Amino acid sequence: MSATPSIAVRKTDDRVPLGVSAGPAIELREVSRRFNGTVALRQVSLDVPRGSILGLIGPSGSGKTTAVRLLTGILAPTAGDVRVLGEQPRHFRRATREQIGYMPQGFLLYPELTAAENVDFMASLFGLLFSHRRRRVREVLELLDLWTVRNRRASALSGGMQRRLELACAFVHDPAVLFLDEPTAGIDPLLRRSVWQELQRLRDTGRTLLVTTQYVSEAEECDRVALLAEGRLIALEAPEGLRRKALGGDVVEIETDAPVDAEALTEHPVLLVDSAGTRLQQVGPRSLLASSNNGASVSPALTEAIEASGAHVVAMREHRPSFDEVFALLVERELGTDTTRADAESEREAADADRT
Amino acid sequence: MSVLKGPTRFLAVVGKEIISVIRRPGALVSMIAGPFIIMAVFGLGYVGRPQYRAILVIPPDSGLPQSAAEYQEISDDTPVEIVGVMADPAPARAALADRRADLIVIAPSDGEARFKAGQQSVLVVEYNTEDPVSAIYADTVAAQLSAEANKLLIERAVRAGTDQAAQAGIPKIPAEVIAEPTKAEAHNLAPTRPSVIAFFGPAVLALIVQHMAVTLSALSMSRERFGGIIEVLRVAPIAASAILAGKLVALLVLVGGTAGILLGLMLVLLHVPMLGDPAQVVLSLAALAVASVSLGLALSVLADSERQAVQLALLALLASVFFGGFVLDLNDFALPVRIIGNALPVTHGIQLAQDLFLRGETNQFWRLGVLAAMGLVFFAIAWLAYRRTLRATA
Repeated sequence: MSATPSIAVRKTDDRVPLGVSAGPAIELREVSRRFNGTVALRQVSLDVPRGSILGLIGPSGSGKTTAVRLLTGILAPTAGDVRVLGEQPRHFRRATREQIGYMPQGFLLYPELTAAENVDFMASLFGLLFSHRRRRVREVLELLDLWTVRNRRASALSGGMQRRLELACAFVHDPAVLFLDEPTAGIDPLLRRSVWQELQRLRDTGRTLLVTTQYVSEAEECDRVALLAEGRLIALEAPEGLRRKALGGDVVEIETDAPVDAEALTEHPVLLVDSAGTRLQQVGPRSLLASSNNGASVSPALTEAIEASGAHVVAMREHRPSFDEVFALLVERELGTDTTRADAESEREAADADRT
Repeated sequence: MSVLKGPTRFLAVVGKEIISVIRRPGALVSMIAGPFIIMAVFGLGYVGRPQYRAILVIPPDSGLPQSAAEYQEISDDTPVEIVGVMADPAPARAALADRRADLIVIAPSDGEARFKAGQQSVLVVEYNTEDPVSAIYADTVAAQLSAEANKLLIERAVRAGTDQAAQAGIPKIPAEVIAEPTKAEAHNLAPTRPSVIAFFGPAVLALIVQHMAVTLSALSMSRERFGGIIEVLRVAPIAASAILAGKLVALLVLVGGTAGILLGLMLVLLHVPMLGDPAQVVLSLAALAVASVSLGLALSVLADSERQAVQLALLALLASVFFGGFVLDLNDFALPVRIIGNALPVTHGIQLAQDLFLRGETNQFWRLGVLAAMGLVFFAIAWLAYRRTLRATA
């Protein structure tokens, strides 16, 4: 796996729990998890720096929830090492647990309790004392626009309100690390936007968040994105880095005033020796996609080659494919090329399991 | 301040449990009004075992009277109502077959002559039931009838011979004394003569306490275990023991409150006597509730689903009705079944409640210790299993 890129944290209050080192908030080292011979996670390694959001993205069954359950100590890894705030989740101390917020995928609230009572219960469970709790419950409910329905039973809230209430329950105790398993599933785009704004606000105050989602477009909301497929970590990059990785560099869409042939241009002597490593893809008779490692611009060599072919560049813009396309490309590329290796690994792991 | 966190968590569980239950008015009504109505219908509607409808078959040459009025004394002394006297057994047997009579008594055709000749006769009693309990009862009734008939025969024979005996200088002894030299006169030394509803009232209360405690605790645990909330509890900084203790206290409050309301209704509306010390009654019911809530917790952590938890609670109720001494005396059962019965909290609760309500005292206070031990054992089972559930990381 590639080295973890450094992410600029906007603002943190440097919350480090007592007795915990100030390393990454979350660490996975070669972590695998198997269920009855089925590999749910395969040698996943990643770090999540404090005060950042890691989006864990992947299709259903890719291992996202398993990863979260490993990180919260609900599951033990079959192999590898998991650390959250410097501790193995299986052996969290009580004080460390108080620093963890968790919103499971299928979290059901207590239907007979009101919105405020549900949040208050969770706050109490995580050790908030009465004096602080009242204020905090109000703050959180107001923040998530639930204050007006605070006395309504959870069962009487709409689906979106329930999801927000679950989110309120997860961070009412102001945890240092939040694990949110598909917090935006089943809620409308506007509300999703507001949930992400709240998550980013939490990140800005120094919290570390690991958020799983099936909506790949939400990758843009994260500081870094870990792409999972079939239990394997396919990519771990900042959102822009993922685009670059998928497209092979920065991509520029070029329009010319006369037809050009991408293949012929590639053979042009100036491009053969171009240090920017320009790669071309024909989009239409007068349009090309050019990717390079040189930033989102057209290298002088490419301009020269186009002009040598009798055309001129009339328009140029940065090409930004959607994250759906980016992920499709990455998954296709990784899984396509690695099928043989994955099969071999599966066979080896199955043999190991049989032996043990 | 961290020393306050433990009590905060514990009280949060207690409060949440109580609110969760009382916010379900349907459940509350069925918990309080339901059992009370059932108990009232049972007590007011129960009339005891009806008298056996008997037909006497008296052959004409038997020497016995043919009038039903002659046998009225038998009806008075036995749980038998003479509904007819016939000479021919055939129509009597037909009546038995189509359930117009419960038993027929066929007198020997030459009973008096055989008696005078110093020979024994056979009094045939026939009944028609598949119910083994009714059959045992019918056997007893047959024995009673036989004794009454014997008495009748002896009295008639003695009356015929007393004049001769008097002439011979033998003191005149009344025929009924010769026929029945001793007569049983039973005295019930129990301090109360409770009605059926009063007798069963304390047992029903004990049964309701156990059933409510087991059901509420089983439902509470299984809803959390098989709902998504267990995921959060696994991560939360709260121990299995704190959750279980919180539930125990909350359910004791709820069961105690409900039992108090039921007790009031029983005393005021159904006039069930409570002769014992109220503090002892409360202590006994509290011990029963502790053992029962713990039993419910243990059952629910061992269940595979919410449905199975409810099924197990119902099984506990069924076992309690049969083996708890509620309907049948536990001593009527073989030893292995008695052991099962004694493993149920309600068995001890019923015994204590009946003694304290109807006798005003009990020499069975050791049962409080048994209930306390049951509470501890069941709670320990629940705790061990729940701790494993919460921290299941394998």
